[in-house]
Amino acid sequence: MGSPRFWSWAALVAGVLYFFLPLAGMFEFSLRARRGEYSLQAYANVLGDPQFRDTFLYSVVAALFTIVLGVLIVAPTAFWVRLKLPRLRPVIEFITLLPLVIPPIVIVFGYIRLYNTSSWLPLTGTAAGTNLLLVFGYATLALPYMYRAVDTGLRSIDIATLTEAAQGMGAGWFTIITRLILPNILSSLLSGAFLTFAIVIGEYVFAALLNRPAFGPYMVWMGGNKAYEPAALAVIAFGITWVCMGVIQLAARLGRHNRVQR
Amino acid sequence: MAFLQIAHLEKSFGTTRVVRDFDLSIEKGEFVSLLGPSGCGKTTVLRMVAGFETPSSGAIAIDGRDVIALRPNQRHIGMVFQAYALFPNLTVAENVAFGLKVKRMPADLRAARVREMLALIGLPDLGNRYPFQLSGGQQQRVALARALAIKPHVLLLDEPLSALDARIRVSLRAQIREIQRELQITTIFVTHDQEEALSISDRVVVMNGGVAEQVGTPFEIYNRPATRFVAQFVGTLNLIEADVIAPATGTVRIGTTEVSLGRPLPAGRVTLACRPEAVSLGAAEGRPLLLWAEIGKVEFLGAVIRLRAQAGRTALSLDMFNRPDTPPPAAGDRVQVSISPADLLVLEA
Repeated sequence: MGSPRFWSWAALVAGVLYFFLPLAGMFEFSLRARRGEYSLQAYANVLGDPQFRDTFLYSVVAALFTIVLGVLIVAPTAFWVRLKLPRLRPVIEFITLLPLVIPPIVIVFGYIRLYNTSSWLPLTGTAAGTNLLLVFGYATLALPYMYRAVDTGLRSIDIATLTEAAQGMGAGWFTIITRLILPNILSSLLSGAFLTFAIVIGEYVFAALLNRPAFGPYMVWMGGNKAYEPAALAVIAFGITWVCMGVIQLAARLGRHNRVQR
Repeated sequence: MAFLQIAHLEKSFGTTRVVRDFDLSIEKGEFVSLLGPSGCGKTTVLRMVAGFETPSSGAIAIDGRDVIALRPNQRHIGMVFQAYALFPNLTVAENVAFGLKVKRMPADLRAARVREMLALIGLPDLGNRYPFQLSGGQQQRVALARALAIKPHVLLLDEPLSALDARIRVSLRAQIREIQRELQITTIFVTHDQEEALSISDRVVVMNGGVAEQVGTPFEIYNRPATRFVAQFVGTLNLIEADVIAPATGTVRIGTTEVSLGRPLPAGRVTLACRPEAVSLGAAEGRPLLLWAEIGKVEFLGAVIRLRAQAGRTALSLDMFNRPDTPPPAAGDRVQVSISPADLLVLEA
């Protein structure tokens, strides 16, 4: 029998091969757009497509709005639950997990039924209203990730004592949340934000059924109509996700004031 | 009227009454400690003064103004916590300036006040550091500066020294007292450490079971404890069971020894108490209570040597000064000890 060190390395190599071989195969395939040679033609086709730029920009903007909405809903809620209503935490956690067990198609059909043009709040009657509905839907989808990220951040600081210390010096709730709580959970917020970004960029069901020009439906359309471009698009999407993950790591390292106190 | 007046304060959590009919008057500039074991309600009283807990009933007035209805951020109180509670995302200077910024003090005045506070706590050059770059003692000093920067009406210290090591604790408590005297700020200090409370306070409130058992100067608390709990909680105490044989003259029998305390006592059996320093080795003038005891243990405490002895069924601790020319008795030695009746306290049942 080999040493434990050998088996650790063997497991690592097996894992890397399992994950990276398909990616390498896809990348290699995406370079074969020109017969008989490797080229970046498929990437040029994708990046040169105005529809790519439009849908990607649309999804980026939708992601930014979703992040802002998510932070505005989740951060004060998680803070208040931890500070004043700790007994409600299991209930809130359960609610935030619901988007993982309720299929997006159910949620979006519920939205369409509730907010169609003959309803009391006809959001789907205008493009702006539908965009708003899409952002609400994205915020719901990202809720489990955003809540957990923020809650983990709040767990790492003594919010009760910090809040009392700030109150003692005359600070109100707005000051406490904006000047103390949010800056101290910044790396957690960024984690939640980039997870949200990655979810929104690749989301298909909401955008397709609400008929919005988002990046997810564009990827699906591309997959059904082209040969090499979908592979290039998938590599680009992976790249975006990895950049997001890298930024999360960087943000965690840059949060220097969050080091353990001596 | 006292500067800080607490009257009939009560606090219950569910069916548990944690503070019961608590009264306290504190004069301006006075340093008062709330001393008691864990769960006695001392921190709850402090938190009610700060506004973090709402009293079930009772009144709290600061400078003649009822503050019960005021939120914590309206009471103008500075508080220092056991866990420092410095804001990790702000530098030392920003921490100290926090309350001033909330009060919208102009930037130049704010900077001057921060410099003044950092100089006061002896850390004038650490303004740009983050809390994680400071030691525990330094963090607590910054927390003190932050609390004092807003010139609060009352300073509340919630076991501020508990998380620090012994040496820093002693130096920091002296510094806290020095600063408090210099600024003449009314201060309430919560601690479970009797030495801490007795060493820095103008007055001490000994609490037990949500009740203030005794309020007095450290001298009174130590030498004239009002209740059995205070006597036992503050300092070391020898308990001596005695039979009262002449209630009018206060004559008691301890084992086979009879002695008059010179004051009337209730008939029957009483518990007498005395401090270790009130018990002397050997017979002495004015110390008619003589007991034979066997030395059990000799503890060297530096300037003082504590002897543990057994006199019949009574366990006694006695302190003697450590003098190089007077070696202490050894374990197993049989010695005579004496006590002055004036040093004997009669504990209520």
